[in-house]
Amino acid sequence: MVAFFVDLSAKPSILYTMTEMTRHTAGRIYLLALLLSIIGFIAFLAIGGTGVSASGEPVLLFGWMTMPLVLGVAFVGFWLISYVIYFFFFWPYR
Amino acid sequence: MGFTLAVLGSFGAVIILMAAYGYRISAKTAEDFMLGGRTIGVVVMFFFVLFAISSAWTFYGFPGLLYTKGPGYVMFIWGSVAGFAGLYMFLGPRLWALAKINRFLSPVEVLGERYESKALRLILSASILAFIVPYIGIQPLGVGAGFEALTGLPAIYGAIYTALILIVLVLLGGMRIVAWVNIFLGVVYMSALLGSLVWVVSVLFPDGGLVQAARIVAETRPDMLSDPGPGGTYTPIVLGGTFVVGILAFSWPHVAIGCMTARDKSLFKWFPLLVFIFGGLFFYILPFIWGSLVAPAAMPLADLEALAAGNGVELQVEADRVVQTVIKRTLPEWFGVFVLLGVIAAAVSTAAVQLMTSSVILSRDVIQGILKPDASDRQITRWARWSVVIIVLLSLGVSALNTGAMALYLTDVSVPGFAQWAPALVGGLLWRRGTKQGAIAGTVTGVVYLVLSLLIVVDGNRILVVGHPVIPSLLLNTIVYLVVSKLTPRPREEIESQFFHEVDAYLQAETSGR
Repeated sequence: MVAFFVDLSAKPSILYTMTEMTRHTAGRIYLLALLLSIIGFIAFLAIGGTGVSASGEPVLLFGWMTMPLVLGVAFVGFWLISYVIYFFFFWPYR
Repeated sequence: MGFTLAVLGSFGAVIILMAAYGYRISAKTAEDFMLGGRTIGVVVMFFFVLFAISSAWTFYGFPGLLYTKGPGYVMFIWGSVAGFAGLYMFLGPRLWALAKINRFLSPVEVLGERYESKALRLILSASILAFIVPYIGIQPLGVGAGFEALTGLPAIYGAIYTALILIVLVLLGGMRIVAWVNIFLGVVYMSALLGSLVWVVSVLFPDGGLVQAARIVAETRPDMLSDPGPGGTYTPIVLGGTFVVGILAFSWPHVAIGCMTARDKSLFKWFPLLVFIFGGLFFYILPFIWGSLVAPAAMPLADLEALAAGNGVELQVEADRVVQTVIKRTLPEWFGVFVLLGVIAAAVSTAAVQLMTSSVILSRDVIQGILKPDASDRQITRWARWSVVIIVLLSLGVSALNTGAMALYLTDVSVPGFAQWAPALVGGLLWRRGTKQGAIAGTVTGVVYLVLSLLIVVDGNRILVVGHPVIPSLLLNTIVYLVVSKLTPRPREEIESQFFHEVDAYLQAETSGR
């Protein structure tokens, strides 16, 4: 099934391009980190992380930041840090 | 009233003067009109794109839905930030390089040539225009509602005022001046959004600011402070779906075309930095605070329901203008005028780019690409300019017939529609095995399914929609694209060379040459 869609002759990536990222370790780590952050984000939503606490009260950071906001800020912050590290130190076209 | 009209007149005059200046200095070529001569730098590009995607929706629809349904809708923003950044990190450099090497003027043209198919070019043009044109019309109509709330004059006056500014701006200025004017509009817009928020909070919540607002909401509408929100709308599945819909922002045609206007490749290194810091961690948090905390604390739901009943509109329509209502009740009248300028700026900045994109597709892809291939540079520039008028009139007409809530039109209709070219776009740029048969079959399947899923309603339910309109249609589109591509002969070697090897070499050479 996989071989049907994946051109195995196109080393090493299933996508011909973005090779500037997929053909070196830093790029692969970067892409994996972003993918995992998306999966983690959705998993956090799935377990009800942005809902009320066990006591039934809404969770507020600093007295006003609701969890949907906190989660998003953390997500964007993670992407920002990952991007700065990769694009400013490892991106082949930098 | 006189003061309001004088300010609006002056504001419109400034924009028109800028457009006229742009016309005077422009090179009068198609490349200059459609892509700003490919000279847009990173700062201009950022504000150009940021305010192109921050429409009246940011002022009305987004806070309006937060006000009624709770904070879960913000997942769309987090997804969008990832989508926009992803476009510039992953697809942008290739799209830019391809367009620059081959002198392509439209992203649809890129795909038409990549797949060697005029039919696909026509299909993509038609589907993008079909979903973008109504969204253009929403902007002037959105301004009309704010205009009516502030001045008491009929909304149509505000809509006509905005439409005229739009036509003159795009018709004279072209892409470069649209980009530059977006900076001016963005400053007005952001000042209004941030200024009104700070001022309203200081007036209404002097003992603790946002913390006091959160305390009020916790007492009056505690379900507004967490998911799933009032009415239990944002279940984990809906939250995840909203986030994924946001990610699809990379496929918005008026954002994708921005990549083609870039001056050089360094833009793609710096642009995401601004998206994350300025867009994700600052700008989009402002309307979120407005809609999820300040407006609910300042305006009890019962008051808004009474207002909606008094105005004879549905609650959601009234909620769409809750920010304006709170400002009007709290701050001096002159500031309300400034806020209306901010809304007009937001509407014009978005609609102008959408209008520009539509006119490029209509003139370059439909007229020159299909109907009159031997058209001169001068002719397609003229068609692009005059198609602006047609598109504005058409969009106003379509939007006037659709009077639903603004937020849901964006996420339920426009975004799923824009997304239908995503498989052909991503596959065309990143997958050398993608074929024209796959792209045509996938796009047609996705669009047809989407339209049917929006139209077929049984007992009040859209039976073909699974989770969100975009999910089944895009999934089907992608599967058909992949399977048909694999079952049909691979593209010619020349195409592979032109669209993959040459681009890689060009990007690498640009790097080495610096």
